Amino acid sequence: MKTVRAHYGFAVGVLFVLLSAGITGALTAQVSQVPTRVPLDRLPDGHPNLQGLWLKSSGGFQGLFIGSLDGTNLAAGGARGGRGGRGAVPGGARGPAPTRYEYTPEAEAERLDRLRRGYEDPEARCHLPGVPRALDQPAGLYPVQIIQDEKYVALLHEAMHDVRIIPTDNSRHPRNYWAWDGDSRGRWEGDTLVVDVSNFNGRTWLDMAGNFVDQNEHVVERFTLVDADTILYEATITDPTVFIKPVEMRFTLKRVPADQQILEYSCLEGERSLQHYTEEDGGKKARVK
Amino acid sequence: MNIRALRLAFCSILATGVLASLAHSGTSAGAIRGSSQQTSFSPARLWDGKTPDFRGIWQVRDTAYVNIEGHPAEKGIAASRSIIVDPPDGRIPYKPQALAQRQENYRNRTTSDPSIKCYQAGVPRATYLPTPLQILQSPGNFAIVYQNNHAFRVFHPDTRPHFDSADWWMGDTRYRWEGNTLVADVAALTDQVWLDQAGNFHSNEIHIIERYRMTGADTIEYVARIEDPIVYSKPWTLRTVLYRIKESGARIIEDECLEDANGVRHHISPTDPRNLLKSDYSRWKKPPQK
Repeated sequence: MKTVRAHYGFAVGVLFVLLSAGITGALTAQVSQVPTRVPLDRLPDGHPNLQGLWLKSSGGFQGLFIGSLDGTNLAAGGARGGRGGRGAVPGGARGPAPTRYEYTPEAEAERLDRLRRGYEDPEARCHLPGVPRALDQPAGLYPVQIIQDEKYVALLHEAMHDVRIIPTDNSRHPRNYWAWDGDSRGRWEGDTLVVDVSNFNGRTWLDMAGNFVDQNEHVVERFTLVDADTILYEATITDPTVFIKPVEMRFTLKRVPADQQILEYSCLEGERSLQHYTEEDGGKKARVK
Repeated sequence: MNIRALRLAFCSILATGVLASLAHSGTSAGAIRGSSQQTSFSPARLWDGKTPDFRGIWQVRDTAYVNIEGHPAEKGIAASRSIIVDPPDGRIPYKPQALAQRQENYRNRTTSDPSIKCYQAGVPRATYLPTPLQILQSPGNFAIVYQNNHAFRVFHPDTRPHFDSADWWMGDTRYRWEGNTLVADVAALTDQVWLDQAGNFHSNEIHIIERYRMTGADTIEYVARIEDPIVYSKPWTLRTVLYRIKESGARIIEDECLEDANGVRHHISPTDPRNLLKSDYSRWKKPPQK
């Protein structure tokens, strides 16, 4: 039986190879340069090698243009459109579909209130961005360095010098630990690194546009090396007290050329941009009514 | 007691004295020369079969973070000895004016220490903080993540020059392997950090050669040679030992510097009510979870 199955599998495999060869051939006729499928680079443990310096290419992040903060709150305008500051993110228009957030009625009211007080974003006060915001930074700005071995995948983010050292042993979350970035536990599902993130302190925003989570946030992230220079990043955010449906996020990370390096990012007391904070928060700006 | 016994006693006292002085000079010389002395331990290798494997979570056991020149016990602070091995007197060879500045820093240490403002600790201070660090490594990659203030340093190979067009809180590090010793050249450090809580300091002309060497499976000897022509009259060297944290499941935890309601940022527990911000969302009335 085993032999039969093996032969059947082999036959299907051959058929697939023939078919794909045929398709490739057809495509080659039309498009002169078809990327050749090279085998993924792997570590000795057999898992894909995610190491390198990576930069988010487009999509995701709902941002505001800092320059516009003194005038209009673009996020407020984006409230109806569902996308903060339409077209504000360079490349955003061509990127993946915008993330959809479906809030409970109470949470929607809270979101609108935060939108109005958008300057209170904790990241603007140099706090850790949380997950998935650690990766969901404005496209093309802050790279992440990945170092990997058989026990860990470590993400060293330039932005906020945020660090996540993710064990890939599928271990359990602790019960006595809460953090801005939560607690990350990874496992490999085939060639995809799946990271379960829990134990959030519930204080992070998901972006500059008032989208938020609380302590019940739970994230499942998927890192897939699509080709030598591309990681597909997918995140599913659930938070039963905030969202009525899971929030799905999806974008790609592109490899940064080897002649570039990660730099140091510092966000410090004294760089509080007081003109961007409202008076009630110790800033110099009149509150937007 | 006969003459013979007396002579024996005298000889042994003499011998002990000679041995003690030999041992003493041996210790200081060994400490100064650092890595050239013991070469017996050969660390495990990474999967490339050649790079020494320094991976793990490490922490010093001394209290030099209070004062690297050593200090007597004070209220709430344990005594410590100097970790400076060169010059032999364990003192930083400050230029006169710089020494005055250090004394000034010392007087104002409870308010002026940059770490109070949650600045990244700088190099070498991050190494001997009373919090752990984790060495991340794979063939061709070497990075240290310090628990304190989630600072990290990515070590770049010394085949390319320093990226020194700006001053960095954690400097710019270029490294190479000398046998089993990792030798790192650190430049472009800011002058906004101190070396400890006692006001010892440097300028942004500081240049450090760090040497990391495993002296056993669970110890790394850390030697840093520091020069700074603005502040010190000559280069000096400190030495400390990092011990492996062997507790199973040990991890670096998040150490985020928090801003309290008065806008002051410092390390306090996330559950401490003092740490609630005006802008914090503790006021979000979470519906009870079903």
